[in-house]
Amino acid sequence: VEETGSAQTQALPAADYRPLQPGQLSVFRVRTALFFLPLALLTAQFDYWASHEVGPLRGTELPFGIMSGAAFLLALAACLFLPPRRYRAWGYREGEDELHIRHGLMFRGRIVVPFVRVQHLDIAQGPVERRFGLARLILHTAGTRSAAIPLPGLAHKDAEELRDRIRAQMRKDLL
Amino acid sequence: VSEARRLHPASLIGRSLKVLPQTLAGGAGYAAVIAREGFGRILLFALIAAGIGFAVALLGWWRFRYTVGANEILIERGLVHRQRRVIPFDRVQDISIERPLLARLLGTARVKVETGGSGADEGTLDMIGLADAHALRDHIRHRHSGAGSAAVEAPPEEPLLFAMDLPRLLFSGLFGFSLIFLAAIFALLQYLDQFAIVDLSSWFTPERAERAGALVSIPARLGFAGLLVLLGLLAGMARTVARDFGFRLTLARNGLRRRRGLFTLTEAVIPVRRIQAAWIEGGLIMRRLGWHALSFQTLGTDQRQGGAQVAAPFARLAEIAPIVAATAFPMSPPRESFRTMPRRGLLRRAFPWLLLGLIGSVAALAVEPRAGAVSALMYLFGLVALLRWRSHRWALTAEALFVSGGFLNRRLWVIPFDMAQSISLAQGPLQRRLGLSSLLVDTAGASLFRAPEIVDLDEKDANVLHRQLLELFYSARIERRLAA
Repeated sequence: VEETGSAQTQALPAADYRPLQPGQLSVFRVRTALFFLPLALLTAQFDYWASHEVGPLRGTELPFGIMSGAAFLLALAACLFLPPRRYRAWGYREGEDELHIRHGLMFRGRIVVPFVRVQHLDIAQGPVERRFGLARLILHTAGTRSAAIPLPGLAHKDAEELRDRIRAQMRKDLL
Repeated sequence: VSEARRLHPASLIGRSLKVLPQTLAGGAGYAAVIAREGFGRILLFALIAAGIGFAVALLGWWRFRYTVGANEILIERGLVHRQRRVIPFDRVQDISIERPLLARLLGTARVKVETGGSGADEGTLDMIGLADAHALRDHIRHRHSGAGSAAVEAPPEEPLLFAMDLPRLLFSGLFGFSLIFLAAIFALLQYLDQFAIVDLSSWFTPERAERAGALVSIPARLGFAGLLVLLGLLAGMARTVARDFGFRLTLARNGLRRRRGLFTLTEAVIPVRRIQAAWIEGGLIMRRLGWHALSFQTLGTDQRQGGAQVAAPFARLAEIAPIVAATAFPMSPPRESFRTMPRRGLLRRAFPWLLLGLIGSVAALAVEPRAGAVSALMYLFGLVALLRWRSHRWALTAEALFVSGGFLNRRLWVIPFDMAQSISLAQGPLQRRLGLSSLLVDTAGASLFRAPEIVDLDEKDANVLHRQLLELFYSARIERRLAA
């Protein structure tokens, strides 16, 4: 039983959701950093322009590095504080006949998928995830809005085991 | 075994359009050579060329016939050399239904029957009515799987569930207001623009618009608007009549059989076992006058269409009830059993618009008077939000979940518990502050855009309902199995 503690996560009751693998926190961190990378390049360019006699910002009296410095601090704060909250917002519970997933930081959600409704299963692994030995299990249903339901942050072996268990449940329904 | 059929007459339009660029290019070449002959002669030539193009298309259409047999499809074609091709169903690898833009405008489809041979168009029907295409595909698949040799043709005497006579059809056409012809005209202009026949950018210039605006008097504008409305009504009427002419819904052995159409009679079976959800809907005026439409959401139809199958396009509730009963779906519970949404939901829906409106108003008073128009628009959106919130309701009975809502076109969804694919709760930032949560039962073949989501439930109610619906999913499945 996991106690998430944060007041916000209890808006949707956390019940006994299992957290994702700790490595997923690093994956979220890398993703946040990658998200801020274009901003960093852009502000560096602005600083370059501001300190030179050519370009759109010539003549501005800004001290050198103030913009990229501010952007760096913003990105650093985001990388420090957002990923842990996002990590805590995620969780899953493997019921006897269904999988519950809790997800999202800004837009929170909870979804339940009965195993008998799963059409097929995918295990996906991006480059960052591979680096941390993690995998994403994707449940495909015949639905429309949630036709593909991802569950990230599983150890690759766990993802395979979970997939096999769900598959066995799917088969049971056919018999 | 059915009789020989021709392609959809609308395919003539496509074929003529296909040869149009060549003929017109020929005309342009002619014009270049004898430029002195004057515009009249060139126009005449272009008309003759277009006429020949159409005649060729017409002949091709006339000579193309297909016959769907019990075990094979026969395609006959060719102007001079007659060609007959027989494709046995057990050789069919795949049947694809394509709908290019023109086909989508005209409600047709291109069916390709692929046999795994090397020929490019082994069995292409370009184009037939969409429902025909689906029916053909189902027929071939049904035959292919060898699922019984029962007659696929309708037995002559099936109980009639619903039919529309001509007066009602015409009346229903009044509600089919459509400006699709405008889109069609612009599509045509753009097509011509592409071949540099007309130059749209020189037609629609700001100077011209201003000059035209200054010239056109208010009554003329009103007259034009009136004309547009009239054309819209006529277009809607024509479309409705072409689509729903002779509408008949009968009770087939394993589903509802629907026949309709003026130019192309289409026949489709809505298999009861594949129905996922049902809805009853009506526009603002339509439902005030007591008319409604009944549709079923089925599994395995075109994703783009959202798997919607109309069972009664224009009917009284008393006529809809027996159709719903025939599919073993429950009818809507009384109005009292529906629950409305919490007040905070109104706040969530309207607050952003009111805030924007207020900012606009302040800006209008302090800085720029023209911001007033934007502000008014924001208030209008706020009002729409109020109306949407007011019309949104849900009910949970022993048989199904009912969700109703919609501002102009109001829809009542019936979702049997065991049709859920997944059940989800969602909460945006504002919803979280207000303790609200939206619940969606996802079903197979649902529309991506218009889904039966219960928006802004009280968070606690949402959690309870989420749990309840999961339990009901399992019990309804067991019940359905026992019944089967």
